[in-house]
Amino acid sequence: MNSIIDALDKGIEMAGIARKRISVPSDIPFDPDAVKTLGVDYFQIPRGRAIAFGTGLKLGNPDLKVIPVAGDLMTLGGNHFVHGSRRNMELLVICVNNFVYKNIGGKPAPFTQAVFSPYSTFEEPFNFPHLGNSCGAVYTARWTALHAEELAASIAEALNKRGLSMIEVLAPGPNYYRSIDGIESELLQFYFNNSVVKNNEDPRNVAITPDEKIAVGKFTDKERPTFIDSYNVQHSKMLGDKFTPHGSPPKVEKLGGKNG
Amino acid sequence: MKADPRGVLTGVYYIDGDVAAGYGALAAGCKFVAGYPITPSTEAFEAICHRGPQVGAVFIQMEDELGSISAIIGATWSGVKTMTITSGPGYSLMQECIGFGAMLETPFVLLNIQRGGPSTGVPTKTGQADMMQSRWGSHGDYELIAIAPESPQEMFDYTIKAFNLAEKYRCPIMIMSDECVGHMTEKVVIPEADKIEVEPRRLYTGPAEDYLPFKPEPDLVPKMAKAGDGLKLYITGQTHDERGYPVKDAEYKSKYGRRLVDKIRLNKDKIIELKEEGTDNADVIVVSYGISSRVAIKGVELAREKGIKVGTLRLVTVWPFPDEKMSELAKKAKAFVVPEINYGQVVYDVARCAHGRANVVLVPHGGAGVHNPNDIADAIEMAAKEDKKIEGLIEFKTRLEKSVFEGGFKLKE
Repeated sequence: MNSIIDALDKGIEMAGIARKRISVPSDIPFDPDAVKTLGVDYFQIPRGRAIAFGTGLKLGNPDLKVIPVAGDLMTLGGNHFVHGSRRNMELLVICVNNFVYKNIGGKPAPFTQAVFSPYSTFEEPFNFPHLGNSCGAVYTARWTALHAEELAASIAEALNKRGLSMIEVLAPGPNYYRSIDGIESELLQFYFNNSVVKNNEDPRNVAITPDEKIAVGKFTDKERPTFIDSYNVQHSKMLGDKFTPHGSPPKVEKLGGKNG
Repeated sequence: MKADPRGVLTGVYYIDGDVAAGYGALAAGCKFVAGYPITPSTEAFEAICHRGPQVGAVFIQMEDELGSISAIIGATWSGVKTMTITSGPGYSLMQECIGFGAMLETPFVLLNIQRGGPSTGVPTKTGQADMMQSRWGSHGDYELIAIAPESPQEMFDYTIKAFNLAEKYRCPIMIMSDECVGHMTEKVVIPEADKIEVEPRRLYTGPAEDYLPFKPEPDLVPKMAKAGDGLKLYITGQTHDERGYPVKDAEYKSKYGRRLVDKIRLNKDKIIELKEEGTDNADVIVVSYGISSRVAIKGVELAREKGIKVGTLRLVTVWPFPDEKMSELAKKAKAFVVPEINYGQVVYDVARCAHGRANVVLVPHGGAGVHNPNDIADAIEMAAKEDKKIEGLIEFKTRLEKSVFEGGFKLKE
């Protein structure tokens, strides 16, 4: 987690956004001292509900910048992610993926499997960027936790996007590995060494497979009206003067558009 | 503080209970509603969907009830008053975050228009079988407040009261209505805004570095905060200390966990609202809530025509339970008669307080309909005639049950 907190710290600085405007709902327990250092508001929410909770924070106060940091994103939180992307809710979703994958081709893999399952793993993992992109997210990227500079730059860029951005971060879950000396850094190094930067690659092609190097980089960067944009346009059209637009977003001429 | 006139639709209306609750929420200053539509609560959604955007309240139809309740808790922490609306299956899904809301001491209102259960049950018809779920549905120890309105006017009035209680005690409030009251259409009077009292949020106003999100005030309720004020909030669903930081030891769990229940238990005299009539010299007291108290009026009338001394105690707030009041009445009356649309829920708390001093008669109903008032009258008569103290619960055999079961199920050898 430390690498992600460092990246958030740098990314927020680079984006030039006041820290007090930032809220981080997460199902991952952050260290209280780390949160104080970041200077943001932090909420540890029930597993998988980071995007739904973040949706409320954003709609309750549209001036907030909300960064759901999600661990159980595609399991418990799967439907929230799908619909958050479809609505283009203004959230920067950091998806922490500490997956283990069968025969990933390196030494740490047998350890990781042994931790979770005595008979190894056999299920297919999700291709997060592809899923986010298909559902309408305006920004998708993937980095390993060792791509510190790239990850921070990605966070900064995504924080200034309007709509749902998703950054997948490959990082070992330290609690599982703490008992094995050096495994955390070894695994991190392993992810890093087995990745290849493929910016602007079609998200359909970035699934993580046992035989290929892991594609990292920025895969989606597009524009669509956000939920609040569409909410304001629709209600203004229907209610005229009776409606006061919610928040103070830039003017959007019409609903829809490419992918919208 | 008086209500903001913007949300108050002053006038006299002929509307159903669901719509009245929606108007009540907007009058109370609710600015965010997230929900997932479900019969028989949809009219409340429609009211908010229609009126909300005209008075600055945002409505969002979420992907499910898990998301709906998570979103309103998030929105509460961003500084606004919030509500979600549901029924049966949706209420079950919301249990996860009811505990979360209680743990974070988050004020919000949950409107549950009860329907026949379990599971899909009878979606379009009434029930009162979520009462225990409203008390203990989420895991862990917590206390919250449940209100049971009996008419559309009360749906308006008590929705406002629910918002006020939420702010006052910093906890989730359950409005445990039902399909019958939700779909009942009656006259509803919405007063002028300056006649409506609303409780403002108890926001912390001191220096940021001194703020402790869970430090209790003298009434055990901590001051609330909101995201975006530079307080560097650390808020977690883990058991936490006054700073909000996680604690794990038994002594801390006791110290900080205890307050979640005590802030309601110790304040219950201020929270509990009862409507009591003719209990002073009564032999039998009818204890009821929600639609069943409305139906009981006729039953009581029929019993009184037969010369039986009957009193009524209506639980406007069902939780916290009025233990002391019930114990006091048990010393004077011969019996309690409890009609509820379930196979026995609130009646067990009545029996606990009666503690063998008065007999307790349950008039059950399986749901999808309300009691026949003649059953309530007969149960009162039966209770009045019984001179022996009977241990445990007496279950009255209703006309409906006799007609379909011939006196109830029996195990065969």
